Amino acid sequence: MRIELDVELKDKPGQLVKALEPISRLGGNLISVIHLRETLTKRGRVPVHIIVSLENPETLETLLTELEANDIWVAKVDEVRRKKRFTILLIGHVVDTDIRDTIDRLNNISGVLVADMSLSMPHPEKETSALMDLEISNPDKLGAALDELDLIAREKKLTLVKSLEI
Amino acid sequence: MRINLVGFGVIGKGFAKTLIMKRDWLKARYGFEPSVVSISDITGTLVNPDGIDLSATLETVNRTGRIIDCPGATVMQSLDAIRGVDAELMVEVTPTNVKTGEPGLSHMLAAMDVGKHVVTSNKGPLALAYKKLRATAEKKGVQFKFESSAGGAMPLINLANEVLSGDEIISIKGILNGTTNFILTKMTKEGTDFETTLKEAQELGIAETDPSYDISGSDTASKLVILTNAILGREATYSDVSVQGITKITPEAIALAKEEGFVIKLIGEVEDGSLSVAPKLVPENHPLNVDGTLNVASFTTDLAGDVTIVGRGAGAIETNSAILSDILSIYRSGAGR
Ligand SMILES: NC(=O)c1ccc[n+]([C@@H]2O[C@H](COP(=O)([O-])OP(=O)(O)OC[C@H]3O[C@@H](n4cnc5c(N)ncnc54)[C@H](OP(=O)(O)O)[C@@H]3O)[C@@H](O)[C@H]2O)c1
Repeated sequence: MRIELDVELKDKPGQLVKALEPISRLGGNLISVIHLRETLTKRGRVPVHIIVSLENPETLETLLTELEANDIWVAKVDEVRRKKRFTILLIGHVVDTDIRDTIDRLNNISGVLVADMSLSMPHPEKETSALMDLEISNPDKLGAALDELDLIAREKKLTLVKSLEI
Repeated sequence: MRINLVGFGVIGKGFAKTLIMKRDWLKARYGFEPSVVSISDITGTLVNPDGIDLSATLETVNRTGRIIDCPGATVMQSLDAIRGVDAELMVEVTPTNVKTGEPGLSHMLAAMDVGKHVVTSNKGPLALAYKKLRATAEKKGVQFKFESSAGGAMPLINLANEVLSGDEIISIKGILNGTTNFILTKMTKEGTDFETTLKEAQELGIAETDPSYDISGSDTASKLVILTNAILGREATYSDVSVQGITKITPEAIALAKEEGFVIKLIGEVEDGSLSVAPKLVPENHPLNVDGTLNVASFTTDLAGDVTIVGRGAGAIETNSAILSDILSIYRSGAGR
């Protein structure tokens, strides 16, 4: 089975190898790899277009899981967008208001995952910011995720900054 | 065409300057000879049925700040001037009030009532009582134009309704306030905090002494209501907008967003029937990422796709570009000759 994958790598050395390794391990044959080193995505990642032939179609799901476990985002499989990612920013006492609870509440919505998060803590008493990437595998759940975020922001008195696309 | 000018502050004086500057050009190009027959501010009214000497009036008011100090001016109030001094059109440029819409709302209704066309940059009456104003203008058979009220010099309403008249406008998003854009841009470039940056903006005369109307998002919300009604044919009011300002934005948050390729901008947006004003993460390479005091608006349309326009959202002369274009459009439609 011939499959085209659009993946996005971190802009760091060694990422491409990390993306290709599971393919050969799972018995896939690489047909082509186009590494668009100069054109970063909106999130500063490097897009790579991979064409691979898999002997056993059932290994596809395993492959996708392994890639994502290695922080390689799979944007599209055979031109079909797999998951949508949205970025949001929370400002305020993000850590002190139980950040674990914030993340759990989002992850508890099925089809929604906090895929990535970076924090900025200028000073223990000062306000913190958290930038989160939300991965939505079920587009119907975007509304629920945004409602939960609004609720969290209100309850915890945080300022929520959404990305333009949502 | 005879004009009652109501309000003689930044924009009113800018209007007088624009007419002086463009007098010969307007005559040569369009055969248009506007004549300002009354000017009112809060202190009184100056009247001359043959046309007021705008240079002399500017000279006096620049010195004293009051119309009443001009030779021949009386304590006649603006409403009496609107009703009593013959003219075809009123230019209404008094301060915006988003709580009551006054004094602008009464001025506009009175002018329409006596059959005068109305051109305004005043957001208050539009954000509160658009439906009533529209209906009154229709009933009285006069034109009502307000391009300058949302987006300053950017020709948004005309672009959407005239130039893109075959398109359906699906959504509108943009940066509609120069003060907040200036503050966020400076915080991004210099890493300064909100309070310090606001103070600098005030020192530079970019932010008002009372900056709350801008930084709370209210100004953006008023403009969004105006665009929604004029372009999407709705009857929204200020209370339909969910509004969040920029006071809670920190330099750390901006820096964090930047690491991931985003800037933070105060965006006004109408989409799927809902109106909102809030700081948003905008990808750095997005057309809405414009800096400094610039404004920008983007329409998503069914045929043309996205159409984006960047320009100056305020300024004495810039804003009068839109006021003059409204007046010319009324004049060229054959009305008020
Ligand atoms: N400035 C801009 O760049 C800009 C851009 C777009 C739209 N606008 C809008 O345009 C309008 C005018 O703005 P501006 O900057 O010119 O304001 P401004 O400098 O404060 O001038 C307002 C003028 O209205 C007069 N006025 C106040 N109350 C009045 C009353 N009851 N009757 C008659 N005159 C009255 C004031 O007289 P006194 O001075 O005697 O009080 C003053 O001459 C506002 O609605 C504003 O939101 C401004």
